[in-house]
Amino acid sequence: MKFKINRDHFSNGLAQVLNVVGSKATMPILSNVLIEAEKDSITLTTTNLDLGIRARIKADVKEPGSVTLPVKRLSTIVRELPNVDVSVDASPNHQVKLTSGGSTFRIMGIGKEEFPPLPEFGDDRTFTLEQAELTAMLKSVAYAQSSDETRYILNGVYFNFRDGKLSLVATDGRRLALVSKELEVPEDAAGSIILPAKTVGELMRMLDKGEKLKVSFNDRRASFQISADKADSGLVDSIYLYSKVVEGNYPNYQQVIPKETHQRIKLERELFLQCVHRAALVCSEKSNSVKIKLTSNLLEITAQSPDFGEAHESMAIAYSGPDLQVAFNPTFVMDPLKALTKDEVFFELKDEVSPGVFKTLESFICVIMPVRLS
Amino acid sequence: MPERVPMIVHLDADAFFVSVELALQPQYRGKKVAVGGRERGIIASASYEARAAGVYTPMPTARALRVCPDLILLPHKGNYGAVSRRMFDLCEELTPLVQRNSIDEGYLDLSPCGLRTTEAVVAAVRGLQARIWNALEIPVSMGIASNKLVSQIASKLRKPRGFVVVAPGDEAAFLAPLGIGKLPGVGPKTEAALEARGVRLIGDVIKRSERELESLVGSGWRGLVAAACGEDNGVVETEREDAKSYSQQETFAKDTADLAALERTVKGMVDELMRKVRADGKRVRTATVKVRYPDFGHDSAGRSLPEASDLEAPFYPLVSTLLRQAWKRPGPVRLVGVRLSGVDDGPRQLDLFGGASAGVAGEGTGLVDEEKRRKLAAVLDRLNAGKDVRVRHGHQL
Repeated sequence: MKFKINRDHFSNGLAQVLNVVGSKATMPILSNVLIEAEKDSITLTTTNLDLGIRARIKADVKEPGSVTLPVKRLSTIVRELPNVDVSVDASPNHQVKLTSGGSTFRIMGIGKEEFPPLPEFGDDRTFTLEQAELTAMLKSVAYAQSSDETRYILNGVYFNFRDGKLSLVATDGRRLALVSKELEVPEDAAGSIILPAKTVGELMRMLDKGEKLKVSFNDRRASFQISADKADSGLVDSIYLYSKVVEGNYPNYQQVIPKETHQRIKLERELFLQCVHRAALVCSEKSNSVKIKLTSNLLEITAQSPDFGEAHESMAIAYSGPDLQVAFNPTFVMDPLKALTKDEVFFELKDEVSPGVFKTLESFICVIMPVRLS
Repeated sequence: MPERVPMIVHLDADAFFVSVELALQPQYRGKKVAVGGRERGIIASASYEARAAGVYTPMPTARALRVCPDLILLPHKGNYGAVSRRMFDLCEELTPLVQRNSIDEGYLDLSPCGLRTTEAVVAAVRGLQARIWNALEIPVSMGIASNKLVSQIASKLRKPRGFVVVAPGDEAAFLAPLGIGKLPGVGPKTEAALEARGVRLIGDVIKRSERELESLVGSGWRGLVAAACGEDNGVVETEREDAKSYSQQETFAKDTADLAALERTVKGMVDELMRKVRADGKRVRTATVKVRYPDFGHDSAGRSLPEASDLEAPFYPLVSTLLRQAWKRPGPVRLVGVRLSGVDDGPRQLDLFGGASAGVAGEGTGLVDEEKRRKLAAVLDRLNAGKDVRVRHGHQL
């Protein structure tokens, strides 16, 4: 195998696949990237068996062939090479010579035979989405995923293609975020998956390469073809991302979304976020809550920790309902506010033991459970 | 000038554990009885009749039975914690300033009661002593003085059912004829050292020169003099020092290697401890199981939940694992114990999938219906609040 490649294209391509390496000492090849050269491009593939990524980059291929190399080290080296022109030359014993300007590296590789292939999909359900739109949707729910491994069903984002829309849901059992968009879903194509948190993270990182993406899935796995049509990246066609899905039944989230609205206030998102953020500066691990108090046309936020002190913030709002007070984990309040982009957000409250609900006009809902003050 | 009135009361229950048992089994009243472990245990509490026969606490049961062969060992039936709580609740009907020092003794500050004369204070405390007897059949001794130090010495002076009042200004005179060992902080060693130098009574302290005292007890001599004069500025603290952990252990009458029985014992301990945790309004995160072998060597193993809980259920699955991990050596164990730590009393984060949507979560989500369990636990706690545990979890059957 022998090819010439632009250093920045090569580096960019490696950056796409870099995060997906196996930590399993039993399969050292999982920390390698599979490089396959043919025609006018090279293909880079990494996998940790649960998740795999494949990207193609322009290259001037002299001799087709393949090899696998440790991806972390290779990526660091390529990024630091002195000249923009890089030649790669693999000998049959999997030693790779990397030359750029006055630099030469010789790197020990492993043959591709041991590298597990990424599964390709057959007749699965397939939908085409806008990259920018999916990014925004994922951002508005991803923070609510659970990281508690004992609740593995919740360690991901639930994709539900049904009833003429795509809904994304994430919950950790204390809060739940839901966003949906209209989408044509033929009846026989309706279905849902729980996409693991790690895949969600990789997906969000990749979704700015072009306009469209194609998602395919069945009960056990999902794949994403992310078109990479932005200029100058060196990427060719699309990036392919394969992932196992979390198997199991997602909880019935509809049941925990309050059906009735009690007290609704309209808030300037940025301003409210800043107030909560400032108040939370006095919180500590042991007393991690902010109290939100509504009185006539006034919203007050207070926080305190016994060993530090207290904070008080106030905001003028339009409110004429009864006085009420409820306490939340400040992170639960701030996360949706940070993820949204609209200037205004609705916040619905009832009493100190009922959930608070954030809503926007774009079919976004975030339900957060309060903390009960003893 | 208004009369100076002693406002601090030290309440000390007489032979508390025995008294609790006698309230349940009055037929043993007036007899030589004791509460304690049978085969290998120690005497935890002895009636005054038994004490007269030479039984003291703590004393190995076997020895107690030798010095007092007709000693009646009462089986442990009473709920000491609940009786103690009710006793202090009665105190709080008199004054809000009650310091629950331990299960059977504490301090009261009567300043908020508007009592202007010593007679009024005496009448109020006599009334409390009578109410505790009438309601719980627990005899208590009372010491009334101007501070905690003197009241505490006073209450212990004429047990049982003691009632000693020290008028303000009389503290030093009251203490002077008492043995030096009665002063808090004077342990058996210091006592022996002081007595060897002729300081036998509290009053002797004041007669010695500063230099002499310093050579006797070192830098603490100032405190000793102040105590001997009956001076103490300690306030009655209503906020109890928060428990850092909850623990319980049991020594078996016979060494055992029965894993299932051990598991049942530990789960039963978790049940009892969680009741205390809930009563204190806390949650705990870490469980540690300890085993002790016949040669007194011991091992332990602990594990933490992702989040603190006030329910038994999240700890049950840990018990068996921890027991196996702790029990490293082959052969039987003589004792097993459990400690719940990582105490959290912050505000409690409520769950989305509690309440109404119970059971919808599906397997593996861990979204068990905590709210329901909590309600059930509250009901069980109420049912079990009396002298006996009435309702047990299935694993105890």
